[in-house]
Amino acid sequence: MKIRNFLLLTFLVALFLGCAGREPTPGVTDSEILIGNIQDLSGPMKELGMALPHGSNLYFNYINGKGGIHGRKIKMVIEDHQYNPQKAVASAKKLVEQDQVFCFYQVIGTSPCEALRPTLEEYKIPLIAPATQSGTMSDRSRRGWEYIFHTDTGYDKQANILVDYAYEQNGDAKVGVIYQDDDYGANVLKGIAEAEKRHGVTVQKEAYQRGATDFAGQVMNLLKGGATHVIIGGVVREPIIVMKTAAAMSYAPQFLGISPTMDHRVVLGAGKEGEGFIAANFAQLYNSDVEGAKLYRELFENSGTDPKVMGMYNFYGFMTAMVLVEGLERAGKRLTRAGLIRAMEGIKDWDGKGVFPGISYGPSDRAGTESVVLVATRGGIQQIISDWIE
Amino acid sequence: MTETFGGLTQEVVSGIALGCIYALIALGFTLIYKATEVVNFAQGELMMVGAYVNFFFVSALLEVPLLNGAWAFIIALVGAVAFAVLFGAFLDLIINRPLKDEPVFSVIMATISLAIILRAVMAVIAGPMTRIPPSPFGSSVITFGGVAVSTLDMFIILSAVVLVVVFYLFFNRTKWGIAMKATAEDPMAAHLVGIPVKKVYRNVWIFSMVVATIGGVLLAPRTLLDTHMGFLGLKAFPAAVLGGFGSIPGAIVGGVIMGVIETVSMGTLSFHFPWVKEINDVIVWIVLIAVLMIRPTGILGQEEVDRV
Amino acid sequence: MKSRYADENLSWIAPLVLLVIAIPFLIRGVTFSYKYYLYVLNIAGIYTILAVGLDILSGYTGLISLGHAGFLAIGAYTSAVLVDQAGVPFGLSLIITPIITGLFGLVVGFPALRISGMYLGLTTMGFGFIARRLIIALRAWTEGSAGLEVSNPVLFGFEFANDWTNYFLIFTFVVAVIVVARRVMNSKIGRAFMAIRDSERAAEAAGVNLTRYKLLAFFMSAVLAGLAGVLFAHTMRFISTDHFDILLSIYFIIMILVGGAGSIYGAVLGSVFIVLLDFLLIPAFKDWMALFVAIEVADIQSLIFGLIMFLFIIFQPMGLYGVWLKIRIYWKLFPFNPKKRFT
Repeated sequence: MKIRNFLLLTFLVALFLGCAGREPTPGVTDSEILIGNIQDLSGPMKELGMALPHGSNLYFNYINGKGGIHGRKIKMVIEDHQYNPQKAVASAKKLVEQDQVFCFYQVIGTSPCEALRPTLEEYKIPLIAPATQSGTMSDRSRRGWEYIFHTDTGYDKQANILVDYAYEQNGDAKVGVIYQDDDYGANVLKGIAEAEKRHGVTVQKEAYQRGATDFAGQVMNLLKGGATHVIIGGVVREPIIVMKTAAAMSYAPQFLGISPTMDHRVVLGAGKEGEGFIAANFAQLYNSDVEGAKLYRELFENSGTDPKVMGMYNFYGFMTAMVLVEGLERAGKRLTRAGLIRAMEGIKDWDGKGVFPGISYGPSDRAGTESVVLVATRGGIQQIISDWIE
Repeated sequence: MTETFGGLTQEVVSGIALGCIYALIALGFTLIYKATEVVNFAQGELMMVGAYVNFFFVSALLEVPLLNGAWAFIIALVGAVAFAVLFGAFLDLIINRPLKDEPVFSVIMATISLAIILRAVMAVIAGPMTRIPPSPFGSSVITFGGVAVSTLDMFIILSAVVLVVVFYLFFNRTKWGIAMKATAEDPMAAHLVGIPVKKVYRNVWIFSMVVATIGGVLLAPRTLLDTHMGFLGLKAFPAAVLGGFGSIPGAIVGGVIMGVIETVSMGTLSFHFPWVKEINDVIVWIVLIAVLMIRPTGILGQEEVDRV
Repeated sequence: MKSRYADENLSWIAPLVLLVIAIPFLIRGVTFSYKYYLYVLNIAGIYTILAVGLDILSGYTGLISLGHAGFLAIGAYTSAVLVDQAGVPFGLSLIITPIITGLFGLVVGFPALRISGMYLGLTTMGFGFIARRLIIALRAWTEGSAGLEVSNPVLFGFEFANDWTNYFLIFTFVVAVIVVARRVMNSKIGRAFMAIRDSERAAEAAGVNLTRYKLLAFFMSAVLAGLAGVLFAHTMRFISTDHFDILLSIYFIIMILVGGAGSIYGAVLGSVFIVLLDFLLIPAFKDWMALFVAIEVADIQSLIFGLIMFLFIIFQPMGLYGVWLKIRIYWKLFPFNPKKRFT
């Protein structure tokens, strides 16, 4: 009997406590803005998990050193989602409810970002610069689209542009694409489909599973299909192995790559078989002469970090930080989430110290950029060979 | 038609090379299974560790000005194998001793947890970036009859064949080898007959680790170094089972069959029958299940008699 | 029939229900971020339903399944497609989807009749991969690997739109599943399962129809996985094939092992413990450690997970449920405990 009474009492107390409910205020104090970032720190994409936030912090520290934004310093909190959408949502809830972040930034991975949409809607909290080039980030038919501001040119647009480029170079080209059979590849194929319709052709499509290390079959098929231009929708390992496999078979089409293949390790790993490879990128290179890149290099060297970290990913963190800061500045001293969204919508043709082709948003536009620049490997070095292509 | 045929031959040859990699991994856990009845789900991770250790040696040695390329690789390999011996003994200590009497289920889960731990530890040591290991053979390619095989692949095939032959002879013709088989069948009886059971266990883990290291060293230039390399090990399972679990020649038979099926299906079959693309990565498993239903112990496996 | 269960001790059900109802209020009263904790509990609840099913199959019947994430995936996607594309009401999907998943369980069960032990483990692993592939191949409905947005659960006109309401939906089922599963496992069916696990030949000799009971075990565990799948899809609101991989299947096996295979309580304890560990405890531990150690602690999460699993297997093979039993016996016998009993 005693136990039962005790339990009943606990139950009633709990009920009473639970009906209270308190409302917290989000992430902005007189001296600080708290930003929530969710990276993959221990899963398949963990290399980016270190490089990206590090790059962002280079810029945040620089801005904080100059007094911050309207007197507030930026502080970033990072959670680990291990590339698991469920953990991403859990981390997001923790960031919003416990850490009380002002907004989300640079969350990595397409599926984690997609899984976050209901959460964004529930708290009306924006996500600036999701770290993925999937065109679905700016897709207005998806839930919560108003809250996501995408900075990169989608894979689909990149693929589209590359197909155009192939036909520009050679009117009789036969194009093939080797793609990763997941959300990345699905987005690539979407762009390919549009290009196919426009040019009235069919592109040969070869799929591989994420993590695959052997492409003899697919490359053989492309050879048999007579493809003169092959678009590689992979990351680092795949283009290296594909190009080497093709070289071993004496097959030498013009290889074109989607932005993740722009990583300098592809050049390193592919060696002479990678000569002539052309990859698309949605921003200037970290070692180019534009003001933004120079600032990046200067800050990096002053930070005393291991030089191996400098590169595309680290720079990506840096440049998206610039976008976030721009939005925060425009949002003004009275900082609210809705205010940030409106401020971001007002950004037009902003090139971030020369790094971007011109980022523009609008009340119904969440796709920051839609152009690419082509980077070719000549003499073992990557060089930009074109202007911004729409 | 000849074009298709030529393509097919190329695919088969590439498939054999891929299959030999599976075979090397499969050999590793067949060895352990043969002597201890333990199914080592961490075999892929062992290979990954071996590959990284070799990479560290190579990277360090290539810095030394007096050594020229080839010697750096050879010394590094020796170093990696030495590490493998020590590490194999260590594994025996932590896996076999505590888990000798536990049910199969627990042992399997123990090896799975070992795999998780190894991945995590390696990630902390090696850092998150994918490494590009230098290949001792550069990118050289041998071509014969219109079919190209990279020198590396040739070496892989060669190593797999050599190792299988060596271990087959070992298990069937030498005293130690037969002692090991006896231990697997009945540890108590083996002990009674005077076989040093504990030493047998330790040796078999050492062998397995050495085989895994060699496999890792050969595989690394092909697939690049990454702590998730070990997942390839999962695919080697069907290879081992297909050939007959517990059979050493079975490991290579199974491995090669799997490798060829996979490559041909991604190549010629997909080319002519687009729907095949949908099942490419699971074709290995479909084949496995089909074989298991017909012959539950694999192609070259032995019937296990279950005494009540 | 009724008389057989008349003396069964059902008094644990009422406190359990009260506890389940009280928890969300308690959490809400104690912390601002209650939604976060409820979200984690919801995941634990869904996984518990699946873990109970898996325990019935692998713990009670001894049929190792290394591909159970495949059933979860089938349940999730089936419901998503039925409700969002075929217009089936959620309530109906709650009934149909588990049955469909159960049928898949039967399909997988057939090979199990001939194949056993480790080979069966591999077969089920293969099933996990094949199920995922199948879902991707049906891209017209499932959007392949790109992932699918799913709608909220709607029952009798009421829409479950947040973590709070989801909790009650999920845990109603959790409690129901626990009660029914215990009842069934304590009956002739459960005994038949355990007989099969301990010795198939002896079971056969005692008159247990192997075919029928093995298939039943697969069916039941798949049905539960399917139910978990429905709840998963509609409360997570986004599913993608990425999530249902071999690592998840292994995760589930870890749950029943750590909890104690062969006991329903064990399955529940195991799944709740593992989810809390994975989502709450280890990240908290990491943050705490980061205060002292400057090294990159991110991978420590997997490391700790693996270590805990390993240590449990070596030192506590009976799992958390075993620990609980030991504690209970210690409590009852206090202070007369034999010294050496509890190593």
